[in-house]
Amino acid sequence: MELDRIIHEPARLRILTILSGLDVADFAFLCTTLGLTKGNLSSHMDRLEKAGYIEVRKSFNGKIPHTDYRLTQDGREQLAAYWAGLEAIRALRDQPPEPPIEEGD
Amino acid sequence: MAAKVPNRSSDAFADPREIAKWAGRYAKNRTIPFLIQWICIVMLGVFIAAVVFLTLRAYRSENVLWILLCAAGIVGMIVAMAWFIVPKWGGDRIYRISQWIYGEEGYAAYLGGSGESIKASSWVYAAGIGLAAYHLLGVLLIAGRYLPFQYTQPFSALYMVPFFIAMTITQRLGFWAFIWPVLYGLHAVLILLGVPIRFTDVNLEILNMIVPVFGYGLVAILVGHLFSRYALHRLKALVRQGLVETAEAESEDQS
Repeated sequence: MELDRIIHEPARLRILTILSGLDVADFAFLCTTLGLTKGNLSSHMDRLEKAGYIEVRKSFNGKIPHTDYRLTQDGREQLAAYWAGLEAIRALRDQPPEPPIEEGD
Repeated sequence: MAAKVPNRSSDAFADPREIAKWAGRYAKNRTIPFLIQWICIVMLGVFIAAVVFLTLRAYRSENVLWILLCAAGIVGMIVAMAWFIVPKWGGDRIYRISQWIYGEEGYAAYLGGSGESIKASSWVYAAGIGLAAYHLLGVLLIAGRYLPFQYTQPFSALYMVPFFIAMTITQRLGFWAFIWPVLYGLHAVLILLGVPIRFTDVNLEILNMIVPVFGYGLVAILVGHLFSRYALHRLKALVRQGLVETAEAESEDQS
């Protein structure tokens, strides 16, 4: 079973899952909610943006820079596919082992 | 991009639907902008009352100073109302004040709540005009003595309750926004049943409208705010469950 490696990273999975329940969130919200350092979060967001999973909008609140993030349609679809894939893996794992084939049957 | 990887990250990860759900609940219950609007409206109300008082004083005294004060008050009132009504002025300022209050907590908007996804349909405008027309009709009915004064609030509730419930649903606001119409409707029912919850003093008659409108509004806003604190607490607990921060995101991927 193949899973999207970009999404599979724990912090990025959580970022995308949070964004899937929201319209838009800013950098500060994600940083405090996830408890990540700014540098680490920034690195994750760069990767997600490059993958086309999130849309970044930069603006200014007066003189203070402000960055908003939004899940793209592709990001939403890939995240849904990821969870479906993971469910499939879990289902396989939870299946009872097949009984051994007896000789002479 | 796709890679064969073991189920590494998600065994300790809570149900993703819970995370998305609590994120949405938190965003829907961020009521600080509504609290600022509430304060602005109350201040505007006090300002209008002061201007009316000044006007009466100027009319009675015929004093030039009072008349000038009254004129300045009217100009100030118009400016304040324009500031509040025009989204580019008041809306932007309210947004910035809210952001300042939320501080490091940051900004999050629920699906459709950032103002870009929801476009007010024509029925919303029609219902808003209807709201004003209905209350004008109420004033005329009271003035013509067709409607007893003590039934002003129930008369108002007949339109306001369904209107605000419909608005809450269409604007996809949190559960807190239902509190106001429910309490306002209950208040009307209690008055119709004759429960003594009215101000009976003639001078305080206006409070029979002001207290339910603003009092229940404040209750709803504060309940929403408290729930947003709880939702954020739940969200953080869910998200941080099993999440160990790596030194750098890149090194994590390369491993």
